[in-house]
Amino acid sequence: MSSRDLVLAALFAAIIVALGLLPPIMLGFIPVPITAQSLGVMLAGVVLGARRGTIAVLLVLLLAAIGLPVLSGGRGGLAVFAAPTTGFLIGWVFAAFVTGYLSERFVRSSQGAIAQTAGFFVAAVAGGVVVLYLFGITYLAIVSGLGFEKAFIGSMAFIPGDLVKAGVAALAGRAVMAGYPLLPARA
Amino acid sequence: MLNSLYVEGDSRLHRLPAGPKLLLVLLVSLAVFLTRSPPVLGAGAIAALGLYASTGIGARAGWLRLRPVLLTIAVVALATVLLGSVEEGIVALLRLTTLMLVAAAVTATTTVGAFIDVVSRAARPLERLGLVRADDIGLAVGLVIRFVPEVLSRYDVLKQSHRARGLRLRPTTVLVPLMIQTLKAADEIAAAIDARGIRAHKQPTENQERPT
Repeated sequence: MSSRDLVLAALFAAIIVALGLLPPIMLGFIPVPITAQSLGVMLAGVVLGARRGTIAVLLVLLLAAIGLPVLSGGRGGLAVFAAPTTGFLIGWVFAAFVTGYLSERFVRSSQGAIAQTAGFFVAAVAGGVVVLYLFGITYLAIVSGLGFEKAFIGSMAFIPGDLVKAGVAALAGRAVMAGYPLLPARA
Repeated sequence: MLNSLYVEGDSRLHRLPAGPKLLLVLLVSLAVFLTRSPPVLGAGAIAALGLYASTGIGARAGWLRLRPVLLTIAVVALATVLLGSVEEGIVALLRLTTLMLVAAAVTATTTVGAFIDVVSRAARPLERLGLVRADDIGLAVGLVIRFVPEVLSRYDVLKQSHRARGLRLRPTTVLVPLMIQTLKAADEIAAAIDARGIRAHKQPTENQERPT
């Protein structure tokens, strides 16, 4: 791995940490605060691609595990991995990977703006919503003894907000690609 | 800005090396799923509370730190009581609380440096497989800690420029310049790292002229 890739992953990890410390930004039309670091996870995949995006997320989790309060709300330490929602944290890694992998496949610099945004949106939904919830709900179902179905129903309330975040990630990812392209090209 | 959750002290747990402490967390995480008996799990939770208290963190700081995690555990335990049975709810509550307390005790008694040493050592076998370079882990962690305040101050500048132009803060108008400005620094930082030879001694593609 080149020094540049390492630095890009570390800088993006710093962005994800900062997103958890910033006050929420409200979207104009829906009362959804855009704080959550899960947006940062989608952005990592969309902007940096699979490999560097995954490393950025791994770094954030490593920092949390070694006792730095880097998760939103100042959470950190090994205790955050003992919560019923830990599956969502583990899922971040795979969410960033899938979002990045699909972004590299779907989005090309030769495409028009709308096609790029749509490609990023599909990638962010597949990684940051489908894959993320797969991990989060499965873990929740196992540790709580709730069962898969009830854990799914309990988590459904958060899905609309995460779809909105995927939209924001797609728009932002497209704009970054236009201004400072970093996504590795794949044939 | 980013203060570690380590608590200064000299308890028995403080003196234990980081490796065994992490092993303890791993064993506890497995052990709590071996039994479904509330009295046994309750005894475990009390022992874990004793361990957490022995770190010398103090009741108030210790409570504030765990409140968010405890809240999610309580919500899920309550949901389990309502949707499943009371016993299942209690079992889930005790299991996760025990694990949380032991994990928090280890976090409070282990410095960031000690953790990074353990992680780097654990990564050595992976290094031999060519998957990761163990020294990169400490370097990357240092970079993140160094750049979080930088990202936050960039955000402040962006907020002020929005205000100066009478614009409302919108996610895309903030996030896009924030990411581009931050990531553009990567080339310079990477050049600085390479110029100082911080990673060079193990670069396999370079000439191995320097004796090490």
